[in-house]
Amino acid sequence: MIDSVTLSRRSILALVLLLASGCGSKSQWKLVDVKDMYPELKLRMTDVRTGKLMSATDYAGKTVILFFGYSFCPEICPTTLLTLTSVMEQRRELQAKTVVLFVSVDPERDTMEALNRYVESFAPNVTALIGTSNELASLARRYRVAYTVNPGPGSADYTVDHTATVFIFDKTGRLMLLAPYGTGAEDFEHDLLLLA
Amino acid sequence: MTVSLGSFSRALDPPLATFAMAIVVIGAVEALIVENFPGSLPIWMPYEFSWTVFLCCVGAAGFYVRGCCSSPQRERPGRWRRTSFFLGVGLIYISMQTWLDYAAQHMFFIHRLQHLILHHTGPFLIALSDPAKVIWRGLPTGLRRGTQIQGVMTCLNILQQPALASFLFVALIYIWPIPSVHYWAMLDPMLYTIMNWSVTIDGILFWSLILDPRPKPLARVSFGVRLICAAAVMFPQMILGAFVVFAERDLYPVYNICGRIFPISGLQDQTYAGLILWVPSTMMSVFALIIILNFIRLNEEDAVTLSGSLR
Repeated sequence: MIDSVTLSRRSILALVLLLASGCGSKSQWKLVDVKDMYPELKLRMTDVRTGKLMSATDYAGKTVILFFGYSFCPEICPTTLLTLTSVMEQRRELQAKTVVLFVSVDPERDTMEALNRYVESFAPNVTALIGTSNELASLARRYRVAYTVNPGPGSADYTVDHTATVFIFDKTGRLMLLAPYGTGAEDFEHDLLLLA
Repeated sequence: MTVSLGSFSRALDPPLATFAMAIVVIGAVEALIVENFPGSLPIWMPYEFSWTVFLCCVGAAGFYVRGCCSSPQRERPGRWRRTSFFLGVGLIYISMQTWLDYAAQHMFFIHRLQHLILHHTGPFLIALSDPAKVIWRGLPTGLRRGTQIQGVMTCLNILQQPALASFLFVALIYIWPIPSVHYWAMLDPMLYTIMNWSVTIDGILFWSLILDPRPKPLARVSFGVRLICAAAVMFPQMILGAFVVFAERDLYPVYNICGRIFPISGLQDQTYAGLILWVPSTMMSVFALIIILNFIRLNEEDAVTLSGSLR
């Protein structure tokens, strides 16, 4: 995708508009609109709730909310998943129309059982995906997600860094929106209702 | 725009066609490895394989080697020029086809380091090696004709007008870091690619204008004009670098979306990036000034020797 020599009209138009105005046009979205910038959803990982190997087609017809993290995460992951859970509880109709995929970037420590227990603390449409290092890296690279796991000499030194952005795909698997860490429940709710 | 592999092969002589096929096979193997084993790649392998970068760098190196071999002994570039060329091409390849590109997508200061290579160091070293004649000799006939298309020549002539070349060089340094532009350049992969190629091509055009060892009229502009151009692009970079270093708020929140790979704050990241914009970028102009002065000296010595031998 990046290697195409054909310049997308959208990219050039975006650049011209940005240069002319210094800011983007007003959007219907509250989150960051990245429509047509990234390839469609493609994954092959195991769902910890069902134990099944999943692919993007298994989520066709649903809005997919993709988030990378790890179950030992002290702040970013639980905060983000709690925000999404509060949206799902406020708008129960979203539970059937959306699925939250929490992708573990620390498969060494995040076992299937531990992850299952972890996601059960959140909304019923929140599940976790786990995969091999290649499956994980392939999905992360597709959406330019960074993650590093540094197992230090002691358990206290074990650190994991990861992109804290939430990726939202429409029912056809197109990446539509990005939500930076700290996005409020109202903004999620607004855009998820528009997408659902 | 599309060139079929068959017509491309016909434009090459048999040994060159075999070599080209070998390069394509190596590229395909590398692309397959990168695609299928992203979790086990060493840092010197591409994070995202790009055929454009691979073919441009390997092609340039290949045609340069071929040109060196086919040049008469007295016209072959010296060891330092050859080293300078391969170092320049190698740096561009490394900055776009290794872990460095992944890091540049997630840390502002590494992004500025990448652009220091793509816009300054890499093209500077390539221009310093004065490779045009050697690459020309290395090109197969079919491709030589392609480089002489009138439209391409006119475009190059315009872009290498000294005032426009200097303006474009500075403009690209200013445009891409505009926070609203940079925001989308880092989020949109296509815009990101345009950004990196725009600075690389502009760097090659600018530094090859500045670092031509020949005097005018063989070179496009005189040494005096080149001194002015090299000095003129220095000060705007210092101003921009200082502005970024001393900014008191995070101007580039896009890296919070991309996710930083090192545990430093946005302001720290920005300060390091500003220093890279400020110091090494402007130092390249200082190096260029010294090199141009040396060219002047060498040309004057040549002129004295020539007039002495005529007397």
